[in-house]
Amino acid sequence: MIELNYLIYIVVFIVGAIAGLLFSYKKHGEPIIFKEINYLVLIMSIIGFFLLFNYGLISFILIPLISISISLFLISFVLGMRPGYGRYEIAIGLMISIIIWIINNLIHL
Amino acid sequence: MIQKWFSRDIMYLMADIVVNVLIAFLFGSILLGLHRKVMARIQLRPGPPIIQHFLHSLKFFFKETSFPKTAAMPFYVAIVVILCAIWVTAVIVGPVSQGSLLIIFGVYALYKIVEHNSGSSSGSPYGKMSCVRAVFSAAAELPLFAVIAIVYLKTGTMNIAEIIAYQSVHGALIFSVPLATIVFFVLILSKSPYSPFAITKGKDLVSGYETEHFGFLRGFLMLSESMSWYVILWVFLTIFLAPLSLVGYLVGMIVITAITAIINAVTPIFNPNHSIMTQISIAIVGIGGSLLLMLIA
Repeated sequence: MIELNYLIYIVVFIVGAIAGLLFSYKKHGEPIIFKEINYLVLIMSIIGFFLLFNYGLISFILIPLISISISLFLISFVLGMRPGYGRYEIAIGLMISIIIWIINNLIHL
Repeated sequence: MIQKWFSRDIMYLMADIVVNVLIAFLFGSILLGLHRKVMARIQLRPGPPIIQHFLHSLKFFFKETSFPKTAAMPFYVAIVVILCAIWVTAVIVGPVSQGSLLIIFGVYALYKIVEHNSGSSSGSPYGKMSCVRAVFSAAAELPLFAVIAIVYLKTGTMNIAEIIAYQSVHGALIFSVPLATIVFFVLILSKSPYSPFAITKGKDLVSGYETEHFGFLRGFLMLSESMSWYVILWVFLTIFLAPLSLVGYLVGMIVITAITAIINAVTPIFNPNHSIMTQISIAIVGIGGSLLLMLIA
């Protein structure tokens, strides 16, 4: 039943978003948007997007169900942060993982 | 042996229903949250997190439930159960068993009645205002039935599985009956939150027909809302864009939600006569044009 996998992904996504929201409210209580890059969140974003687009590269270590679940947790953690936080981290993570995906596809062409 | 297989099939079906209902609720909640987020960004507000609708639904299950003195009991409680039951039925008929389109639209017709009765059963003037508009907005159902008729004339079936099979051979219906697709899209638009055709509903105290439902009753209403959004989008994608993979459904639902959010963010709510006339006009042009195209082709 493939729907069960999707249910797991959705649940993981929601849990990650809640964790991200709680984390960012605990870290940032100020009313103004904080514009510096948080390196921990940046690493989470890069790993998350890398796993989402390139889970095939590490399928010999992790089965896709686990790697996609981890990636969705990490991505939703960053996406779910307080409004205004995590934007730069998402953009950088997305760009790096897309570049890796393109390079990987070019190599295999 | 037969009994063993029979029970295994039943168990499998039950598991399928539970999984699909949970997906409909959870993913529907995320989509409605995304809808609010996109609307907020267009209106230059930060907006709530996209899981806000889900958190909001959960919150109500743990709040104290109180009943207004003016409520028409037990109807006031039963209507919530009926609303939830009809959308669970829609999930079973749609994503689980891919049954008849007529049942889905029967569900939709019932939804209108329940929406109306939910508002009026509380005895509150706020709920009543919204329920009166829900009756007006029943105008959206006429084009809906006309769309089913066109799909039937085109494919020769009302069965969703057979419509998918037809499209896998002849191509997606969006290309052969584009005007009917637009009419159906207007229906989706009318069901999306804060749309120009929507019932009167705010984010704060006056929440349309839900205004006087508190605690777990409100939680069930919100749960049903999430499922209804998911099912309506699923039906649209299945009728006009099938066959799609699960990722295709995922992307399609996100895109349609974002488009409706953009439209709703820049459009004021119509008054009832404008709302009905706009919907009916689009329906007449869409249905008439579709029939004409089918006759010519």
